[in-house]
Amino acid sequence: MSTLHAKAAEAYLRNDDIVVRHDKTFFGVRQKRDNMAQALPEWEDLREAASQIKKHTVTHLADYLEQFEQNATRNGIHVHWAADAKEYNDIVYDILSDHNVKKVVKSKSMLTEECHLNDNLERRGIEVIETDLGERILQMMHLAPSHIVMPALHVHREAIGDCFRKWGLMNDLRPEDIPEDPNDPTFLTYVARLHLRKQFTEAQAGMTGANFGIASTGEVVVCTNEGNADMSTSIPKLHIVSMGIEKLIPDYASMGVFQRLLARCGTGQETTVYTSHFRGPRPGGEMHIVLVDNGRSQILSDAEHWQTLKCMRCGACMNTCPVYRRSAGYSYTYFIPGPIGINLGMLRDNRQYSDNVSACSLCCSCDNVCPVKVDLSTQIYRWRQQIDSLHRADATKKMMSRAMSFIFGHPRLYTRLVGSLHLARWVPKCIMNCRMNPWAYGHEMMKFPPKSFHQTWKELKPKEDENEHKG
Amino acid sequence: MNTKDKILGRLRQGVREQFDMPDLSTLHPITFPDPVAQFIQKATTTAGARLIELPTGADLNQAVHEAYPQAQIFASNLPGIDVQLNPDTVAEARELTAVDVGIVQGCIGVAENACIWVPQAMKEKAICFASENLVILLQRQVIVNNMHEAYARISGSEEYFRDYKFGTFISGPSKTADIESALVYGAQAARSLTIILT
Repeated sequence: MSTLHAKAAEAYLRNDDIVVRHDKTFFGVRQKRDNMAQALPEWEDLREAASQIKKHTVTHLADYLEQFEQNATRNGIHVHWAADAKEYNDIVYDILSDHNVKKVVKSKSMLTEECHLNDNLERRGIEVIETDLGERILQMMHLAPSHIVMPALHVHREAIGDCFRKWGLMNDLRPEDIPEDPNDPTFLTYVARLHLRKQFTEAQAGMTGANFGIASTGEVVVCTNEGNADMSTSIPKLHIVSMGIEKLIPDYASMGVFQRLLARCGTGQETTVYTSHFRGPRPGGEMHIVLVDNGRSQILSDAEHWQTLKCMRCGACMNTCPVYRRSAGYSYTYFIPGPIGINLGMLRDNRQYSDNVSACSLCCSCDNVCPVKVDLSTQIYRWRQQIDSLHRADATKKMMSRAMSFIFGHPRLYTRLVGSLHLARWVPKCIMNCRMNPWAYGHEMMKFPPKSFHQTWKELKPKEDENEHKG
Repeated sequence: MNTKDKILGRLRQGVREQFDMPDLSTLHPITFPDPVAQFIQKATTTAGARLIELPTGADLNQAVHEAYPQAQIFASNLPGIDVQLNPDTVAEARELTAVDVGIVQGCIGVAENACIWVPQAMKEKAICFASENLVILLQRQVIVNNMHEAYARISGSEEYFRDYKFGTFISGPSKTADIESALVYGAQAARSLTIILT
């Protein structure tokens, strides 16, 4: 019995071209991150500072949240508290319906994804337009994000062009405006620009996430390259911010540390194009911040896993992960893939999302790139130790483990078995490599040497002893 | 008990060990022998902006018009600049989506990443984003080495966030790589950025 991740990855791996392209794309981002890290002599000090600031903040989170609320309220912002996804969705709906909002433009937020806000609002008659280009493409194609920062890189330009044509986005263009390659990324981006800029002027409300909340000033910071969060909040008069409570940092001194790490780690840029600080409503407008718990306070009380709260969702752990790069986002059963997604999924529901803990080779690369030093691979290892007690262990592997532990516990039996392994050399290849043998899956069965290591060692050892005596 | 108290209660109960805030003064962020040169280099390469070094006494209006000879609608609330629209007096922010060139004042430049601190100093901040092209005026003496220095300046000053509760760092024109990682300038906001260094 394989995990759902393994099965989905197996299907994904059937198309070499797609896998190689995906792998190269994200390893390219990882390499850009490396260039950024190497260009700063203080890189490791920055990571350590970021980790310590987050450890400090999440272990003083109640105090900082109170300070944040106080300052934000003083700035004229309405602050709301949501214990779970339902309460969050209701609060947002109430604000929007109080203002008679029919259409809302929205910049990227994994929190709204986590709470299924879009479906919820659409069901209640409010049109939601994603304005990050990647997110908008996925929304039009009815697809989920495959990565938390670069959500649509798995979709190819031809499919995007077809989607735009199907939606009529090119209807107003003159034939001479359409280039020779009608799926040219520059042209498609221009088409999306015209479409989205129209949406900004039609919407009655703008929604953003928050990359950071600053307690000492009561403001939120949103980072984008496209400027879509700014467009969404500069034209409509109502601004609603959705913020997970763990996004808080103490002050401006901390902000310097995180601003410098976020884009460098996430996309390998020195900065995002826009780093926008919202400290209150725009003139004649209204600003709301919804602080969402939805399981985060529970994570804090988990002695082994509380440090996942340090995560700032840069996506660096996915880009470096050899399993993510070769199995892609949809192979995971939780909506956030990669090392951080494996952990967040288990914290959300350790039975429902346990299929992802196999998606790790324990190479620990994620630990080394994480800007806030979340011990991702150690945590995945810990989850694996619990798999059996959660009744989610693979029956075949469990049986093999039992058999091996019996054999290793009986040295004589072990020696005899090892001594006879070379006989396997005489088993015909077709039987050895049959599907029944899990060790011959995806490659040929290994060849056993004529002598075991122990035997060889014993034969060599006396010579060494003689040498020692001579010395 | 209301939701806020419930969340705060759970957070206070859940903490096992509290950690101290680190001493950030021991962090030695990168500095440059010539921050202005570094800023210009970053702005015109990775950030993808154009940069004009304006000699003292040169005509600002002329420089802006020369930078965008095709443009028809200019917008700004800065004194001495000829414009068709003013972000302080437009009836609706959406009018500013028709602007060809918006001109705003930057207050801090950051050498390490070509970020420019643009505090909101106009009624409609849409001018900074909705304009097809953006011009930011910046004095060379306000260029600092890194983001730590920039944030220290902002938090140490009374002038920002006083009249309007918004400020943004802008580094280059709006861009995206969401379609097959191909870098394209001009996603949703300004398609080009010209920095005029005085």
